[in-house]
Amino acid sequence: MKEENTYSSSHKGKPVIQIHNLQKQFGDQVVLNNFNLEMYENENLVLMGKSGSGKSVMIKCLIGLMEPDSGTIEVLGEDISKLDQTKMDELRAEIGFLFQGSALYDSMTVRENLEFPLRRHTKRMNIENTEELVLEALNNVGLAKTIDLMPEELSGGMQRRIALARALILKPRIILYDEPTTGLDPITAKEIIKLMMDIQKKYKTSSLIITHDVDCARVISDRMILLLEGTNYAEGTFKELSTSEDPKIQAFFK
Amino acid sequence: MKNSNTQNLRLGIFVILGITIFVLAVYFIGNRQNLFGDNSIIISVFKDVSGLQRGNNVRFAGVNVGTVKDIQIINDTSIAVSMRVDERTMNLIRKNSLATISSDGLVGSMVVNLLPGENNSGLAPPVKFGDTIASISKIATADMLTTLNTTNENAALLTADLLKITNSINKGEGTLGALIKDEEMAGNFKKSIEGLRQTTQNVSAMVNRINAIINEVSYKESVAGVLLSDTTAAKQIEGIITNLEISALQISNMTTNLEQVSYDIRKGEGTLDYLLNDPGAVDKLDATLENIAKATKKFDESMEALQHNILLRRYFEKQARIKQREEAKPDE
Amino acid sequence: MTRNFPMVANLSSFFTETGALARFAGRFFKELVSPPIEFREFLRQCYQMGNKSLLLVAVTGFILGLVFTLQSRPTLEEFGASSWIPNMISISIVREIGPVIIALICAGRIGSSIGAELGSMKVTEQIDAMEVSGTNPFKFLVVTRILAATLMLPLLILFGDFVALIGSAIVENVKGQVSFTLYFNQVFEALAFSDLLPATAKSFFFGFAIGLVGCFKGYNSSKGTAGVGRASNSAVVYTSMLLFIIDFIAVFLTDLIYG
Repeated sequence: MKEENTYSSSHKGKPVIQIHNLQKQFGDQVVLNNFNLEMYENENLVLMGKSGSGKSVMIKCLIGLMEPDSGTIEVLGEDISKLDQTKMDELRAEIGFLFQGSALYDSMTVRENLEFPLRRHTKRMNIENTEELVLEALNNVGLAKTIDLMPEELSGGMQRRIALARALILKPRIILYDEPTTGLDPITAKEIIKLMMDIQKKYKTSSLIITHDVDCARVISDRMILLLEGTNYAEGTFKELSTSEDPKIQAFFK
Repeated sequence: MKNSNTQNLRLGIFVILGITIFVLAVYFIGNRQNLFGDNSIIISVFKDVSGLQRGNNVRFAGVNVGTVKDIQIINDTSIAVSMRVDERTMNLIRKNSLATISSDGLVGSMVVNLLPGENNSGLAPPVKFGDTIASISKIATADMLTTLNTTNENAALLTADLLKITNSINKGEGTLGALIKDEEMAGNFKKSIEGLRQTTQNVSAMVNRINAIINEVSYKESVAGVLLSDTTAAKQIEGIITNLEISALQISNMTTNLEQVSYDIRKGEGTLDYLLNDPGAVDKLDATLENIAKATKKFDESMEALQHNILLRRYFEKQARIKQREEAKPDE
Repeated sequence: MTRNFPMVANLSSFFTETGALARFAGRFFKELVSPPIEFREFLRQCYQMGNKSLLLVAVTGFILGLVFTLQSRPTLEEFGASSWIPNMISISIVREIGPVIIALICAGRIGSSIGAELGSMKVTEQIDAMEVSGTNPFKFLVVTRILAATLMLPLLILFGDFVALIGSAIVENVKGQVSFTLYFNQVFEALAFSDLLPATAKSFFFGFAIGLVGCFKGYNSSKGTAGVGRASNSAVVYTSMLLFIIDFIAVFLTDLIYG
């Protein structure tokens, strides 16, 4: 099914994320070295790399949680290094972020977790009924009945789905997934992947998925970038890359 | 939401409770220091405040009526103590009232006692804000006790002299003969006895003066704070003084006896014969002198006890230091 | 080079840490005065620290007063000064022992829980999630907690002092036949503003120290569950040390002002 949407220049929409020459190092250890990335509207871009290859660092630079040493990052046409705090927050409202370990606030109920991103934006975005939004988001992930539970009372898969609901509650244009299937059993992982695709269809978002899960990448990707030694080593569709003869690329799919 | 409401309610209760404890503590402490009630100021000037501090209690007839507000040194012999006193007791304190500083119990802090003045010329008008009342210092009493001590020392010296003479008498005829023949010696003996009598009289007078003080303490209560703020100590001192009195009386009696004997000696041969022939008479003379020594010793002990009394100890120590210093000076 | 001089390394890391803590405190004050105020979270933290510590503080305080009085009785009785017990106990509890013991207890309870909570939030990226959600996590987590600790601790200490005095009064009542009225009369007779006010003032600083170090350690916790444990543990250790330093400074200042 996905194979129909194969990567080709004719399908490119407007770019939503553009990263040029991103450089980041911690002490002597170079994490990102001359990294480039472009992502277009309505695209599911998978960024694959071994653990510790700087995927998470890249995504944190993208959302402004870390500052790159050099290079430019443009999100929705804005250079994020030039944004002040307010503008940054406004931009962040356009970006959903699904954290690796769900990152639900464990001192708050599911409802409060979902309300949290709304707090700062209710006035600006004229959101009147937060309850409605919370329920809608929960229905999207099929967990409306958990609304008054604490995160610790939920299973890992449910937590991930709540986290997804929370990432989606502001109806962002871009969703960043940091290892969405990590730590989950294969069946739950599949459910999450299906959910991600449903949501992508429903809200027409662009998704950047960071993963090292080959199954996940096969199902969801329109296009893939392979991250090796801090730089974008190869780029193409899943099919193109998985059939590549470069042993370094082959290593990703084993 | 409901959950957070009950939380806020409980938090509110907790906060209000805590603040209430604080406010009550502040109120009660302030109340004790008379910060909130209506109060007035009285000033008194002392020579020595004996470590009085701001915040110490001011008592009137044993009741806490205020606190010391400020202590200012005016010059080397006068220190002004201003006291914050409850307005309600102001009309009880008369203009001729006296202020004294004393210790509150055995190891307590210092307190200012306000004592009613003497009423011989009718009631004085009550004090007003900012009035200065007179103070009494305990120095006077202490001075008397020092004099008493000196007197006692003199008595001891005289007794020692007397004892020497008596010993000489006892030694043998030769000495006795010398005593009797030697006019000068006899004169000395007489002088010694005179001196002893003088001393005894002094002691008596002193004891009378102390007695007068004690009486004042007991009945008029006006100098109560000076010497003793609690009755046990007062009783103790009274006991010591009674002892002193008895000792003095004994010395006096002995001296009379001695005088009698020496008179007899001087009277003539018959008496001398009698004295020489009758060993009992010699023994009697001896015993009399011994008694004097004993009585003087007892007197000494009583003085010692008085010195050891905690209330007065500090004064005596100070006196001893001054004495030492004075003695040291001429050597320089 | 520092490898050969472990002392130097320790010392320099100590100064680095102190500097970082001072910056952290500076950031707290900066963020404290700039809007918005996370009032609901602040109240929630006040509840968590105040009400939830109340039982602990009450039990500790009560036993403190009880034991302290029981222990001092024989000695004072020997001097025939058992009537001085309310005097002595109240002054030492209000001035020193109450604030310090209760602050230490709270360092254990509040400081470690802040350290652990923020540490685990850091490790599980909850702090990042907050930032992404358009909420300043420093303001939301740190400012509210430090402020809540600063304001709650004096209340807890007052409460603890009060309960300690009740404990002491009970001992006096049972062993010394001193009525509660007489006991508290003597207590307020003994206490002066110079006992209560500096003690209350320093308890604000105690609260601030507990909140600050707990947040600092938690907020800067390193990755992994071990990091969380370390954050919570070192929060307590550093806070306890800091409490004594603050106490020393406070006593020194009090002495200067009232001495």
